Amino acid sequence: MLHIEGLRKAYGDVVALRGVDLDVAPGEIVSLLGPNGAGKTTLVSIVAGLRRTDAGIVEVDGIDARERSVEVRRRIGLAPQDLGIYPVVSVRRNLLLFGRLVGLGQRELRSRIEEVAEALGITGLLDRQGGTLSGGQKRRLHTAIALLNRPPLLLLDEATTGADVETRAQILELVRGLAADGSAVLYSTHYLQEVEDLSASVVLLDEGRVIARGGVKELIAAHADPVVELTFDGEVPPVAASGGATVEGRRLRLATTDPASTLTAVLPQLPPGSLDSVEIVRPSLEAVYLALTGRRYQEADQEAEHVSPS
Amino acid sequence: MSPRASAAIIRHEFRVMFSDPSTLVFLLFMPLLMVALMRQLFAGALAAEGFPGANGSEFAVPGMAVAFAAFSVSYAGFTFFRDHGWGTWDRLRAAPLSSVELIAGKVVPTVAVTVAQLALLFLLGGPLFGFRVAGSVFAIGLVVVVLALSLSAFGMAVTALARTMQQLNAIGTVGGFGMAMLGGAWVPVSAMPGWAQAVAPAMPTYWAMKAFRAVVLDGGGVPDVVVPVLVMAGFGVAFTLLAAAKFRLEDSKAYYG
Repeated sequence: MLHIEGLRKAYGDVVALRGVDLDVAPGEIVSLLGPNGAGKTTLVSIVAGLRRTDAGIVEVDGIDARERSVEVRRRIGLAPQDLGIYPVVSVRRNLLLFGRLVGLGQRELRSRIEEVAEALGITGLLDRQGGTLSGGQKRRLHTAIALLNRPPLLLLDEATTGADVETRAQILELVRGLAADGSAVLYSTHYLQEVEDLSASVVLLDEGRVIARGGVKELIAAHADPVVELTFDGEVPPVAASGGATVEGRRLRLATTDPASTLTAVLPQLPPGSLDSVEIVRPSLEAVYLALTGRRYQEADQEAEHVSPS
Repeated sequence: MSPRASAAIIRHEFRVMFSDPSTLVFLLFMPLLMVALMRQLFAGALAAEGFPGANGSEFAVPGMAVAFAAFSVSYAGFTFFRDHGWGTWDRLRAAPLSSVELIAGKVVPTVAVTVAQLALLFLLGGPLFGFRVAGSVFAIGLVVVVLALSLSAFGMAVTALARTMQQLNAIGTVGGFGMAMLGGAWVPVSAMPGWAQAVAPAMPTYWAMKAFRAVVLDGGGVPDVVVPVLVMAGFGVAFTLLAAAKFRLEDSKAYYG
């Protein structure tokens, strides 16, 4: 349903995408995972026709997105990262406008509004003004708008940002249901846990490059041993350890298949009082990211927040 | 291209507009108040110009109509900046419609409001202020429509150039007000200083006032407003070309900041 090849995009000197290849098949959920600034929103925006590419191919259902943008957008449902609803008109009026813009006739639109409202639990809110909704309710309306045209390709960009627990669970459940009904879903997120909850295929994006792809279990099996992370009060002391050891600032990371044995071997070698804390990073997408980039995911996320908006 | 998409946006724009009608009320009723306040001032000026029976509304009604229509310059831009602020601009752009359909959906309501504003003032001018049109009412209608299109095109050009709401307000309001002032909507051109009289023809509002005067006071018809209408249309085309050259759908606009 979605085919991307060699996608490149730069904003002046800042390179957002450095040759991304990606495919999403009908019925598949592909989770675009990466810290803030990895290029996820840029990629989603290009597929949705909101930004131009510098180079590369984007095809939706075999249609070139650059050449036949309107036809492509007819096949897409987009929920952008930032909330996009009209606060001064009712929930129903919001849905009516965007339903008309995707070409739904009056009767079909009415029944479709009932369906998406039911699916997202906003039936009782249809006559409320958009601006009077809570954050979670606005997020549901925002997502509902993307579903009106039963899109063969659904683009959800950070769909649960700021959502309450109930809304988040509802959106994830909905995404699973849509995929089961045959929609291709590109789900951009920086929450590792969501990807594991969705059992999605993962495309791990870092600094505009795809650094890994596959199922969650395969990625973990291929890239992630447990990591023992020791943080010291000062400089990292020399330590003899088997397997991969990396030092970053005051941290020593030891990749190992047996964390307990590694700790038993390493702790006696340390100068007294030098150790501040010990953490065992279990095999997970977090460990995959660490193994592939040498950085902790959360740290990359926080660093990027200060650097790049995409 | 499907007119259905533009029609849906136009309906929606009116709905949003009427959800807070304070701007409309200001644009529609303030000029009436201004005519009531200023009409007497112009009666003497018109008498001196050879219209002894004039009651002042013959200048005040078209003048205030043009002056307040110029405020629509900012309003045209505001509808775009507002969508950026609400995050709905990207949603509209992601919908399967062409850029022409999208822009038409946003601009048509502004043109319609400007036409309504001008028409209302001319219609109420008679019963409220004794305003009479000596010439062709159809010619007045023609000038009203072309002026509204020309000012909305100017609004689009300003929107294309402005990056922030503050810039839009500064360029739109000051530009619109200046355009009305220098075009002779607030003070007759003949009463303005020499340098201002020299600059006046560079304003579309000057040609609107010239056309209104030809019809309202001199009893002219369509042939008498052809030149001013063509000049205003020329301004409109120039503003539209500038807007087309500078407007980028993907440009971000800061609603605040």
